[in-house]
Amino acid sequence: MRTILIAFTFAFAGLPACGREQASSTKGAPKIAFITNCVAEFWTIANFGVEAAKGPAGVEVSVHMPPNGTAEEQTRILEDALGRGAVGIAVSPKDPENMTELLDRIADKAILITHDSDAPKSKRLCYVGVDNYEAGRMCGQLVKEALQNGGAIVVVVGTLDQDNARRRRQGLIDELLDRSMDSTRFDPQDAVLKGSKYEIRASYTDQFDRQKCKAIAQDALGKWSDIACLVGLFEYEPPLLLESVRSAAKLGTVKVVAFDENSETLQGIVDGHVHGTVVQNPYEYGRASVELLGKLLNEPDAHKRAALLPPGGFLNVPARKITKDNVAAFWQDLKQKTGKK
Amino acid sequence: MTSRAQDGAPPVLEVVAIGKRFDGVQALRSVSLQLHAGEVVALIGENGAGKSTLMKVLAGVHQPDEGSLRLLGREVRFADPKAALAAGIALIHQELNLCDNLTVAGALFLGRELRRGPFLRKRAMDRQAVAALARTGLEVSPHRLVSSLAPGQQQLLEIARALHGRARVLIMDEPTSCLTDTETQRLYAVVRELKAQGTAIVWITHRMAEVLELADRVVALRDGEHTGEIAGADATHERMVAMMVGRQLRSQLRPAHPPGEVALVVRGLCTRAFPRASVDFELRCGEVVGIAGLLGSGRSELLRALFGVDRAVAGQITCCGVQLGGHDPADAVRAGLVLVPEDRKLQGLVLGMSVRENLSLATLRARGTFVDGAYERDLCVRAIADLAIATPHGEQRVAVLSGGNQQKVVLGKWLAAEPRVLLLDEPTRGVDVAARAEIYARLHELAGRGVAVLFVSSELPEVLALADRCLVMHQGRVEGELPRQRMSEAAILTLATGKGVA
Amino acid sequence: MKKLLGITGLLLAVFVVTTLLAQQADGSNSFLTAYNLQNLLQRVGMFGILSIAAAFVIVTGGIDLSIGAVVCTAGCMLPWLLKDCALPPWLALPLVLLLCAGIGLWHGILIVGLRLQPFVVTLCGLLLYRGLMRWFTNDQTMGLGSDVEGLRWLANGRIPITASFGFPVSALILLVVAVLAAVFFQRTVWGRHLFALGRNEEAARFSGVATGRLTILAYVVCSLLAGLAGCLFVLYVNSAGASSFGNFYELYAIAGAVLGGVALRGGEGTILGVVLGSSLMQVLAMAIVIVGSGNQLEFAIVGAVILLGAAADEGVRRLLRRRR
Repeated sequence: MRTILIAFTFAFAGLPACGREQASSTKGAPKIAFITNCVAEFWTIANFGVEAAKGPAGVEVSVHMPPNGTAEEQTRILEDALGRGAVGIAVSPKDPENMTELLDRIADKAILITHDSDAPKSKRLCYVGVDNYEAGRMCGQLVKEALQNGGAIVVVVGTLDQDNARRRRQGLIDELLDRSMDSTRFDPQDAVLKGSKYEIRASYTDQFDRQKCKAIAQDALGKWSDIACLVGLFEYEPPLLLESVRSAAKLGTVKVVAFDENSETLQGIVDGHVHGTVVQNPYEYGRASVELLGKLLNEPDAHKRAALLPPGGFLNVPARKITKDNVAAFWQDLKQKTGKK
Repeated sequence: MTSRAQDGAPPVLEVVAIGKRFDGVQALRSVSLQLHAGEVVALIGENGAGKSTLMKVLAGVHQPDEGSLRLLGREVRFADPKAALAAGIALIHQELNLCDNLTVAGALFLGRELRRGPFLRKRAMDRQAVAALARTGLEVSPHRLVSSLAPGQQQLLEIARALHGRARVLIMDEPTSCLTDTETQRLYAVVRELKAQGTAIVWITHRMAEVLELADRVVALRDGEHTGEIAGADATHERMVAMMVGRQLRSQLRPAHPPGEVALVVRGLCTRAFPRASVDFELRCGEVVGIAGLLGSGRSELLRALFGVDRAVAGQITCCGVQLGGHDPADAVRAGLVLVPEDRKLQGLVLGMSVRENLSLATLRARGTFVDGAYERDLCVRAIADLAIATPHGEQRVAVLSGGNQQKVVLGKWLAAEPRVLLLDEPTRGVDVAARAEIYARLHELAGRGVAVLFVSSELPEVLALADRCLVMHQGRVEGELPRQRMSEAAILTLATGKGVA
Repeated sequence: MKKLLGITGLLLAVFVVTTLLAQQADGSNSFLTAYNLQNLLQRVGMFGILSIAAAFVIVTGGIDLSIGAVVCTAGCMLPWLLKDCALPPWLALPLVLLLCAGIGLWHGILIVGLRLQPFVVTLCGLLLYRGLMRWFTNDQTMGLGSDVEGLRWLANGRIPITASFGFPVSALILLVVAVLAAVFFQRTVWGRHLFALGRNEEAARFSGVATGRLTILAYVVCSLLAGLAGCLFVLYVNSAGASSFGNFYELYAIAGAVLGGVALRGGEGTILGVVLGSSLMQVLAMAIVIVGSGNQLEFAIVGAVILLGAAADEGVRRLLRRRR
């Protein structure tokens, strides 16, 4: 028993050596906090953008990812960032409706911008990101391409609490039902939505539990034999949807349409099992946010600062549709940016 | 000591032909009993005779299946203890059941606090508590924590609590089982006082001395039936035993055996409770040695250290040539040394398990990795027969057996390990007369076969009857040793209080 | 066996109700298909192992709240060893299990040696291991990629029985684990001693039972099985993120065990009951997707049914007692 204990101690002692250190410091430079809404590969890519921009912008950046993806954690991280002397903050707010007051308080003490998901009612200076409603409509276009004769689809999403998730889903629904552009619409989660050609059979949330995501997709395929397409709106979901289609032996009959650029999603597009994906540009979120904050911090005069902001306080980093045609080039570019071979 | 009950006055409480069954076992069979005001009725009987069940029926804990209760001539039915209490019947349990995290006043008023709206009237309760405590002769501050009271004081507090609820009938289940002599005397005085005030008292006990001291009448139960009733003045030890047991007991004196070779050698043993007092003694095969001493004199600690449940601070233990030290109970068992512990329910038995599983618990491991079912069943049948354990079958949960039968199961568990040295801590506490005699007989028999027996007992008659020689402990050390010829209560007490000659 | 009547009845009831509701909702579909059954068995395989893990410590009267974090540890370490360290599966898998057993040993030593409360030790473990994994993986998703398909057979593979039905390998693993655990509980002296110390540790110690070593063993087995389940989970979904992988799984594990008749006060329970209990949880989760549209009510329904199960169990017990 003692031997096992010793072995165990060594195993633990060995861990730090294998781990990768996350550090970025430029002494004396203004401090910036870049805050995400959860932990995901998506944000790792954004991190590379941050890393690329911090040198030229002349700032020190700390990146914070709330491990459980809750608004409470994010609140704490925001307050801590101020406490540690951050003068510029870029955040992807988890729950913009209820965080407005907090964000206003932060904006009084530091330069605040939002990225990825907006909080339009707050005093943030600018929003860097995609219009998720538009991105959702792009996703709808991909479904239309995949199912030219129409059909029933099932949507899986991590949660519907987040503004970007709601808008993404709404854009998808509105596009498939050929509704007008109106990002303020909201169809409840349990609604069955039937259009002339397309039908949204069900929307499921998996609360970021991968096992549950795969299980739900399997069960939905078992429940309805006529599902023609599965849509996964969060980065980790499309590969799991693909697996469930494969395990149900419906590869080819059931299409998968994706969101974001998980490498397995991209491989699926290359292999022809995933029809396409809508990618945001997280690298650009990170880069542009830091660049903009750097510019704003270098300008002490508040009035002149306004002139530095993009029109309407919205720095559009447009989403793109990736299909078999452009996947190779996109992937190559991504690997280059993230420094993976 | 005459009864105040006049002939013709109606009894306070009358029990008419009550019957009660549990799980198919007839616990009470048509028992009738009358209680008069100002009378002490002693209820005697072996464990499992139905005394506790009868009392719980009176106190509303159980509802009778047959028969009826009459309070002052009117038929009553108690749905729960609260209803019985409201009617003036209070039960004081064998195990004290005060919430010991409360203050004295808090415990006294528990469940019937004085209040104004949602708020407690603490000062009023404290005042009344002092008065209520005075009735029982208990003089402590109402602010003290119950846990800081001695057992005797807690017992008096329980009585004060019952009286405060205006109890007309007070039922006490073995009230002296954990009291010191002085505390017991104090309790007697309180009971006499209550009796003079007209309270009817039922006193359940195993101790004949108490019956002779207090009782106006003696009622005996056996196997759930009323088996006899005599006036207190006519009570003798023999008559009471005959009513309870229905037969003559074998003599408790043993034939003397010449001691054999040395079985256990203890040198310089220091326990954690008394790290600076060391103990030395030897024990020979075939010897029965008693350890006497006052509570807290380090007797139990000594046995626990010998068995290895507690680590000894220092010292050497040699059992049948095997060196023990820093050992755990498994090592002790392998060396042939076992302990029948003090607290049967907490330390001796796994109450939720069956008789069979308890009997085999200590010896299964030595018989391989897998449970040896045949061995286990065989052991169970043999132990039940050898020790006359009263249980319908080996699968019975040990929790439902009476105290005496539970103790036999503990003994049976250790006899299966074929010990060379048998340690027992209070082997007959809470055990009825018949089972006690059987346990004594079994110990004599073991000694006759060459087993060394070492037992701790707080009952001097037990030590005098059983032991070949007696070690008397005081503050963690052996104050003196008495051979059989010189053993007497006076001699033991002199040593136990630390007045021994060096 | 009588103790399992409640849970078995409830399981059957959920099956029947779901089948009826599924037919009503959509005439063309039914709940009891070979496809659904094999998916169900596959998930029961993984969650059943977790519940057996929980049962080992609950039987001693303890609790393990770190099961989810150990699942996370195994889920992140397996891909790391296979991909980043390029170890072969036959080496990586035992290493992960060894690490998890080590975690259990650590729990056991703290609980037995330092006499810390199991609740505290494993609650801290819950935070500690997940936190360490997040730091260790740098919050990167640990993926298995596509070149360990052979190993993934353990979680995704099926042994063909008929044309449409294959028996999932994960369920087969559960079967093996369950049989071993049941033999341990009911046929070995250690199992008997484990139950005895769960009921009354002091009496077991006074009977010469090595209570300390047995308690440590229970925690080691618990973490080992949690690690095994963690490996299966990551093989099932192909990737793990330290921040969310196995979140709340300790609660599923404990709920399954308790639902199956393992008493939280210790010393009571059967492996068959545990497997039935954790099956019920999975059947419910599936039934909610099959019957409804959307799954917002999932937790509410699971909670309500567990409560119903506990009440039914108590009801059956009382009925049996009265009949005697």
